[in-house]
Amino acid sequence: MTDVLTIQNLTKSFGKETVIDGLTFSVPEGSIFGFIGKNGAGKTTTMKMTLGLLAADSGEITVCGERVSFGQTATNRHIGYLLDVPEFYGYMRPKEYLWLCGEITGLENAKIKSRSEELLKLVGLAGINKKIGSFSRGMKQRLGIAQALLNEPKLLICDEPTSALDPVGRKEILEILRQVKDKTTVIFSTHIISDVERICDRIAVLDKGRLALSGTIAELKAKHKSGGFTATFDAGTDKERVLGVLAENHLQPIGVEETEQTIENLFMEVIL
Amino acid sequence: MRAYLAFTKKEFIENLRTYKLLILLAVFLLFGVMSPLVAKLVPEIMQNLGIGGIKITLPEATAMDSWVQFFKNVGQIGLLVLAVVFAGIMSNEFSRGTLVNVLTKGLKRHTVIFSKLTAAALIWTMSYLLCLAVTYGYTVYFWDMGELQHVFLAFFSMWLFGLLLVVLLILGGTLFKTFIGSLLLAGGAVVAMTLLNISPKIQKYNPVTLCGDNTALLTGVKNASDFVPAVIICIALVVVLTTVSVVVFDRKQI
Ligand SMILES: Nc1ncnc2c1ncn2[C@@H]1O[C@H](COP(=O)(O)OP(=O)(O)O)[C@@H](O)[C@H]1O
Ligand SMILES: [Mg+2]
Repeated sequence: MTDVLTIQNLTKSFGKETVIDGLTFSVPEGSIFGFIGKNGAGKTTTMKMTLGLLAADSGEITVCGERVSFGQTATNRHIGYLLDVPEFYGYMRPKEYLWLCGEITGLENAKIKSRSEELLKLVGLAGINKKIGSFSRGMKQRLGIAQALLNEPKLLICDEPTSALDPVGRKEILEILRQVKDKTTVIFSTHIISDVERICDRIAVLDKGRLALSGTIAELKAKHKSGGFTATFDAGTDKERVLGVLAENHLQPIGVEETEQTIENLFMEVIL
Repeated sequence: MRAYLAFTKKEFIENLRTYKLLILLAVFLLFGVMSPLVAKLVPEIMQNLGIGGIKITLPEATAMDSWVQFFKNVGQIGLLVLAVVFAGIMSNEFSRGTLVNVLTKGLKRHTVIFSKLTAAALIWTMSYLLCLAVTYGYTVYFWDMGELQHVFLAFFSMWLFGLLLVVLLILGGTLFKTFIGSLLLAGGAVVAMTLLNISPKIQKYNPVTLCGDNTALLTGVKNASDFVPAVIICIALVVVLTTVSVVVFDRKQI
């Protein structure tokens, strides 16, 4: 498996504050890569350096084997980028905006037309023709994904695509990311661990500007195996009966816990 | 080239849909009408009014009075309106974060500057020509135009100074990323040039002459040789400052 993105010994400071401090990791082709860190960990900064929008102090970034340089950067042709709060020209309509992006990126007219329609359908904005200025946060996020995928990038970089959304919006975005994974490698940053568990196959955890943990989800789970396990039953199950069956078979649980209804589940039930 | 055209088109759509184009055309149309009307009517009103019972006799207005009004209006409030309308030309993109998408789509940074300059320059040209045409129409209607000297140079100079102002606004916005920064750099430059103008030796090299002394050129009080050096310096500044904007923007972290 070749690496779509490699980052080596990357450092970056803003004034005296060192934000990224010798960061090294790589992202193999075909993965959905979760880039995890709490707020202010430096996720956005790392992504912007990958896109040549910020200058790195030292270290090397390569995208599809080509080195990224700050300012004018040819490597961006391999990348689709969705920034944390995507902003568009509010006076434009979604199709006009995608058309502008298509022309900038050098797609043929016929291609722009077909890709735009295909992508607007994928992100659920087909037939929406109002000005972007009146879009909700979630709609902007979805248009952002369409825009990022327009030039069929090898690498899709999404900066906290779900953080600002309600659970339904989050689910929709994750679903879209899952759908595109066959064609493009996806990196997405987040501080929401449940999102990572839903779709990622690899993760890197960023802490204090360094890598605190990385690997495939399977590897990490195997390595950090916990001693026990939890079994969850339906609400209708008779607890005493289950415990009785266990006792008959000489299986003694160390603890029994009643699962609380999570608000997220409740929310989903009510909304959907 | 395609990206340049696409982004320039985007600039026009922006100026159209955010009413900037409309505001400029309306303001300059107003000046176009006002200049000859004020020149025509003010003396007549003054004469009929008479202040404190004293009858004032003013010399009858001429075509030149209309042009004096034109250069005064365009050269002062007109340029101010131009500056305010275009002061956000760079800073809006920075503050809203709209550049990130287009730059990561492969738009060259210098294309951003050239497209913005093209659109703003064309809109300024349209506004200015509209104003000029309207004033011209009224002036030939009211008066005999008479002999005007250095016509092209007089009107071209004002246009060129407006272009310099646009370039200064773009540079200010690129350097400081803010609306105020853009306005302060352009305003500061104009104030500095005006202060320099106190020395008569500098006047003919000073771009600010191009928006101040145009009627002296029309009447022949000043010669082409009093303007041409300033024109050359102004053109050089437009080229140099645009280049500086491009270089600065290339190194900006976004
Ligand atoms: N342009 C900037 N100037 C100064 N400090 C910055 C700038 N951008 C980010 N930072 C700082 O760098 C740190 C990392 O920010 P960021 O990469 O946005 O974190 P994350 O995306 O992981 O939440 C934060 O402490 C933030 O304050
Ligand atoms: Mg961030």
